[in-house]
Amino acid sequence: MENSHSPKILIIDDEKGLRIGTKRLLEGEGYYVETAENGYDGISLGTKTEFDLAIIDLKMPDIDGLQVMKEILKAFPDTVCLIATGYASYETAVEAIKFGAFSYIPKPFTPEELFQKLSQGYSRRELIIEKRKWKEEREERLLEVAFEKSRLNTIINSISDGLLVVNKNGEAVLFNPSALKYLGFEQIKIEEYVIDKLPPQIAGLINKFLPLEKCEQKSFSSQVELKPNRELFVEATSSPVANPDGTLAGVVVVIKDITELKKIEFLKSQFVSMVSHELKAPVAAVYGYLKLFSDSSIHLSEEQKLNYLNRSQIRLDGLLKMVNDLLDISRMELKTVSREISEQDLTVIIKPIIELFQMEISKKNLIVNVTVSEKLPHLHVDQDEISRLFTNLISNAIKYNKTGGSININITQSGNYIVTEIKDTGIGLKPAEKNKLFQEFFRAKNEKTKDISGTGLGLSIVKRIIDSYSGKVEVESEFNTGTSFKVFLPFRNGNNNTEQKADKLT
Amino acid sequence: MAKIAIIDDDPDIVDASSLVLTSKGYEVVTATNPDDGYKIVKENSPDLIILDVMMNEPDDGFFLAQKFRKENISTPIIMYTSVSKSLGMDFGINELVPVDEFVEKPISPEQLIGKVEKLLQAKGGI
Repeated sequence: MENSHSPKILIIDDEKGLRIGTKRLLEGEGYYVETAENGYDGISLGTKTEFDLAIIDLKMPDIDGLQVMKEILKAFPDTVCLIATGYASYETAVEAIKFGAFSYIPKPFTPEELFQKLSQGYSRRELIIEKRKWKEEREERLLEVAFEKSRLNTIINSISDGLLVVNKNGEAVLFNPSALKYLGFEQIKIEEYVIDKLPPQIAGLINKFLPLEKCEQKSFSSQVELKPNRELFVEATSSPVANPDGTLAGVVVVIKDITELKKIEFLKSQFVSMVSHELKAPVAAVYGYLKLFSDSSIHLSEEQKLNYLNRSQIRLDGLLKMVNDLLDISRMELKTVSREISEQDLTVIIKPIIELFQMEISKKNLIVNVTVSEKLPHLHVDQDEISRLFTNLISNAIKYNKTGGSININITQSGNYIVTEIKDTGIGLKPAEKNKLFQEFFRAKNEKTKDISGTGLGLSIVKRIIDSYSGKVEVESEFNTGTSFKVFLPFRNGNNNTEQKADKLT
Repeated sequence: MAKIAIIDDDPDIVDASSLVLTSKGYEVVTATNPDDGYKIVKENSPDLIILDVMMNEPDDGFFLAQKFRKENISTPIIMYTSVSKSLGMDFGINELVPVDEFVEKPISPEQLIGKVEKLLQAKGGI
């Protein structure tokens, strides 16, 4: 930029004739010239703006030329200064240069002498400018690199996955806080040998690469249980880092937390095991009975035959019901339930359920009371779902009741909820049983329940239906006395939300 | 004739199994939960125990088997299972399940008799 301008030159001399003559001469040559008639003016001009060149008279009445030069150089070290002197001697020249002058011009000088000196001085000035530009550019680039590096570091340190890079000697060269956390390290040092500190499986992943000379483009992964009982499960993946010439520079390991995934996987496999177990039980029972019939060495009385056929029938019915319940659960889980939301009066849903169970109710000699508060708001629900929900609860209240007991169904309003309480005088629940009540396949097993059949899925379905309507369920129970279920179904927020949801589902 | 205890929470399995065994002349005692199972073994000192894993019970079949062994009841045990794998429950690798034979349900009468005879013979004859 400065090169494109005409060279800027400052002349400081107390001799008027020389000042004006030199100015005219230089302007003719394309220089931009300013002049000062004494030392102090020279200092104020030369320290205000940066000149390419300055010609400074050594002897001035007010202040020494060397002093003037010193002040100017203090402000602009890159201004090229020439000392003009009538007492040219070896000593003054040395002294001037010692103080930072580029050169000196003995007075009087010819235009040629002046041009020659100035052209040398200006070449010098150009060199200085060039150097200065490079330096600035370099500094700028360094700054950029530093910024880029710190940004990259910030990003690496923010990643929730652990990152560890080791060099060919197995020494740590880069790692982030997540890696330290997963590996349980307080701190490791850069260039510290870490292979023997790592969990064996992760060290193994790194060791697959370290002996190799060439960098092969492949990765190894391993799932590692870092803390037992599924407390911390990670997936570690190692990949090689290559030098520009293709040789192995090191290995990068990424450690990803998969604990939640493993927990879900475990629950799933547990559920599958449980389903298999539950489905197999009735199959095994019926199989056992059928084998009795086909085994010629076993003699069965007519009464036994009838009993075993009857038992087989019951077990197969149970199996069928369980399969249907499982399908219901699976549909609810996949959210492929197609709902038909409409305005429903809860009493209209519950009355037919009681009629349906009339036979069981009279068999057990139960008294069923239904009380309904007046002017209850209607629910916006799917009739089938709500019917299934209360069928399961009422069926339980009958099944687990004592002969001659009672069932009290009480429907009221509480805030935004319609609350339905179903209270039986049955066998009740032990506290430990109550906690597991809504788990799949849980059935309270004790001397009182051994003759009651069930799939262990009914209450799990009840809970799922209630949850899907943003409702809640409360259980109170005393062993040997009875159980009460309170179902809360919201009637206000049901309007729009559920309808929209239903649209999406169908 | 040898005495056999059947402990299984499925009454139908208990019924069918006992019928198979009694028809072969064995004496059978039964229970449908671990507590009763423990009692009938203590009271009857059977020659063989058929024990279901009963995974729904808080003290399941494995627990009961271990209890017998801890009390130096060395009666051979046939364990009924319905799922061949360990049912997702955690058994330590070093934790030996103290049973002599596993049988996966459903089981045919021939199989059952076969296993029972084999174990009783190994024990030193009827």
